[in-house]
Amino acid sequence: MKRWWVAGLALAALSMASAQTVVRLQGFGGNDTAIISSLVREVVNPALQKDNIRAEYQGVEGDYRAALLNALSAGTAADLFYVDIFWSEPLFASGRVEPLNRYFTQQELSVFNRNLLNAFTLRGNVYGLPKDFNTLAVQFNKDLFDEAKVPYPNQTDTWDTFKDKLKRVQAALKDVAGLCVVADHARFGAFAYATGWRPFNAQGRTVLDANFRRAFEWYTSLVKDGAGKYAQDLGEGWTGGCFGAERAAVAIEGAWIGGFLRDKAPNMRYGTTLIPLDPVTKQRGNFIFTVSWSMNAASRNKEAAAKVLRALTSPEAQNWILSRGLALPSRSALANSPIFQRPGKENELNRVVFQGSTSVGGAVLPFKFGSLDGGEWMRPINEALLAVITGKKSVDQALADAQAELNRLVR
Amino acid sequence: MAAQVMKPGRKLDERYLARQRWARAAWVYGAMLALAVFFIGPFYVAYLGSLKDNPLEWPFRYSFAQTQPKNWAAAWRLGQLGASNPWTGGFAPGANIPFQVSYFVEDGQEPQTPVVTVPTRRAGAGLGAIFDEVQAAQYARVSEVQEVGRRSAVVGGQPGQIVTYSFTIAYEGQGPRAPRLPLDIEAPRGQVYYSATLDPNRLERRGRVASWDSAAPGLLGYAFRNYVRVFNEARDPNTGASFFLRWTLNTFLVCVAVVLTTLLFASLAGYALARMYFPGKNYLFAFVVFTMTVPAQAIFISNYLVLRDLGLLSSLWGMVVWSAVGAGAVFIMKQFFESIPREIEEAALIDGASPITTFFRIIIPMATPALGALTILTFQGMWNEFFKAAVVLSGQQGNYTLPLGLSFFRNAYGVAGDWGLMLASAFLSMIPIIILFVVFQRYFVEGVSTSALKG
Repeated sequence: MKRWWVAGLALAALSMASAQTVVRLQGFGGNDTAIISSLVREVVNPALQKDNIRAEYQGVEGDYRAALLNALSAGTAADLFYVDIFWSEPLFASGRVEPLNRYFTQQELSVFNRNLLNAFTLRGNVYGLPKDFNTLAVQFNKDLFDEAKVPYPNQTDTWDTFKDKLKRVQAALKDVAGLCVVADHARFGAFAYATGWRPFNAQGRTVLDANFRRAFEWYTSLVKDGAGKYAQDLGEGWTGGCFGAERAAVAIEGAWIGGFLRDKAPNMRYGTTLIPLDPVTKQRGNFIFTVSWSMNAASRNKEAAAKVLRALTSPEAQNWILSRGLALPSRSALANSPIFQRPGKENELNRVVFQGSTSVGGAVLPFKFGSLDGGEWMRPINEALLAVITGKKSVDQALADAQAELNRLVR
Repeated sequence: MAAQVMKPGRKLDERYLARQRWARAAWVYGAMLALAVFFIGPFYVAYLGSLKDNPLEWPFRYSFAQTQPKNWAAAWRLGQLGASNPWTGGFAPGANIPFQVSYFVEDGQEPQTPVVTVPTRRAGAGLGAIFDEVQAAQYARVSEVQEVGRRSAVVGGQPGQIVTYSFTIAYEGQGPRAPRLPLDIEAPRGQVYYSATLDPNRLERRGRVASWDSAAPGLLGYAFRNYVRVFNEARDPNTGASFFLRWTLNTFLVCVAVVLTTLLFASLAGYALARMYFPGKNYLFAFVVFTMTVPAQAIFISNYLVLRDLGLLSSLWGMVVWSAVGAGAVFIMKQFFESIPREIEEAALIDGASPITTFFRIIIPMATPALGALTILTFQGMWNEFFKAAVVLSGQQGNYTLPLGLSFFRNAYGVAGDWGLMLASAFLSMIPIIILFVVFQRYFVEGVSTSALKG
């Protein structure tokens, strides 16, 4: 008799499980797997229990974009997936991503940071809700500035005063660079935007004009003038690497450096301030790095996926992530979150990076380059930066070569 | 019959010949040594890097805290004191850990007692950033820091004195066991860290702060910290179980399954191509050889779609089906079977054996060297297979094989990977294949000779 009971219960449990809708989520691997899986378990799934929906996250290791395009073309992609702003536009234009306007009212959409939402809007359609975001900020090592008796970088610094401070630190402390300079548009571009230059002019062409040149000359002069060292010469690939090892006085990174420093330099006394101002325009520039949750146009459970999407970007979910110092919330209302106002170096870092996306940040552009693949578009500029920083070409020559290459790419 | 004419000149005496022999031996062994250094050198450096707190440090040091036997002994003892666990250490109720630290103070400077704290440390990446581990800081009580001795010394050409301080860290009362006991000791800038019971993991803030990941680390937790982290930080977020063992097991399963299917199919196909007569046999063989020239990348889309339709994506069986047999394996077996004399099969035929019996009872036992070689080559190839794993298993972390799992550590911090974890996990994943190679290297050599010289 008892056995029948058990069998009956098991059957009932099975039928209940089978009635549950499973919504698959796909995104970056590594740390994101840990974060989103926990978020889904602790916040999203409990909220969706009444609808009998369960979300499951799958992190993709290696080249996420290639894996996503594969899965989309083979029809095996998840119901909801990350889309990096960097290559979002060609993907949205392909018709493989579901526009979200049908599932979300204007009012629901308006709670998100406008800059971020615009970055995922194409021809009036919203193709993704911003999951979270990052901008660039200047992190500085207080001990090194104290020791060199140089005032800390602050938000009134212009390129010139900032560079001067770096030079003085590098001169005073022989074994420390001002900044680890990287030949990468993902850092340099923020300075170029401050001059008023834009990746594409009104005709849709990329023109490396006088403004661009001014930023280019300033950025590439850092190494030559003793305000920085080329990162690869110090065996590092990013500005944060040298900074964490106390071999550079400042870094130019986003909030992601927080976790790195927590592991590699837990006692470092660092502060964060905004990117310096262009002395001519008195403007700052910045990038917005962001990732959206987007819906698969071929998904079989779009309604359920929309519910999961709502839960993933709910205030509860974003607060959960923010309180752990993992990422910055994409909802404007959370700018006033008390978490940002807490003391401590990591909270300051998050606060300043968040401010970088507001009007204080100046010319803030999403990290994407029209309908082109971002990597392709940035390559000529990165090569020009590298050639000048390492002394292989003059500024004139490097810019002429980059312009020729960009003319070929941007038609 | 022309008589040999001895040229006048050097006398060919024994000593000269011996010298010649020695010189030749020296050249041969010297070249071998040079090659060994050339190939082993990078491994050795990478291995040292995997033990360091900062594998990217520059200039590269060959001698550092984790390679000092003095620290091994201290880490063992401290692990024993902290949690009665000399291997991986920890901090458990009842622990009482005496600790000493010495500073060099130049003449004319007054030594100051350093500040000792047990800080709260959360991991910056991996699951540690999500789950709150038990923090030793909540339970540790640091005694007053006492100065226990001074002696004069000259360090770096500067006269001064070495001042030693001592304190204890105790876990009083009851509570949970903390996995590690972080420790920071801060001294003013002029005081130079000289030595301690256990060398610190880092000197931070321009030498002001000596920082330990754990002051009760145990031997593995100190010398092989990155290796321990590989098991701790790659975990299933839902169950908390370590991924790394799972990945190793998955890789073994796939390798064993693929070896079995390869042995079966390659020997059957190779035998058919070597011994049977059917129209178009040579064309078929030419086609098999031709498929060896097609890179996996060229046909992966069609394979991907087939696996999708079979419902094998994201499963280990998808890997097995995709790699079940390769043209190279068929080729090796065919060449080997052709080297077996036909008379043996004729004798079996006269004795009344069917072709099946002949194949399984007579030919296969004779093909052991070729099968052994094939086993090794297939196993090794599968063990290191990244491309297929990346295509088939993407998104199912529980089903990863090791090569794909290693990339898990590549973007630990979003923009940067954790090199310590990457190097340590790469070395862990190499161990089984090295053991396999050492045990079966005879077959490797034979495998190459059977496939290349015979037939």
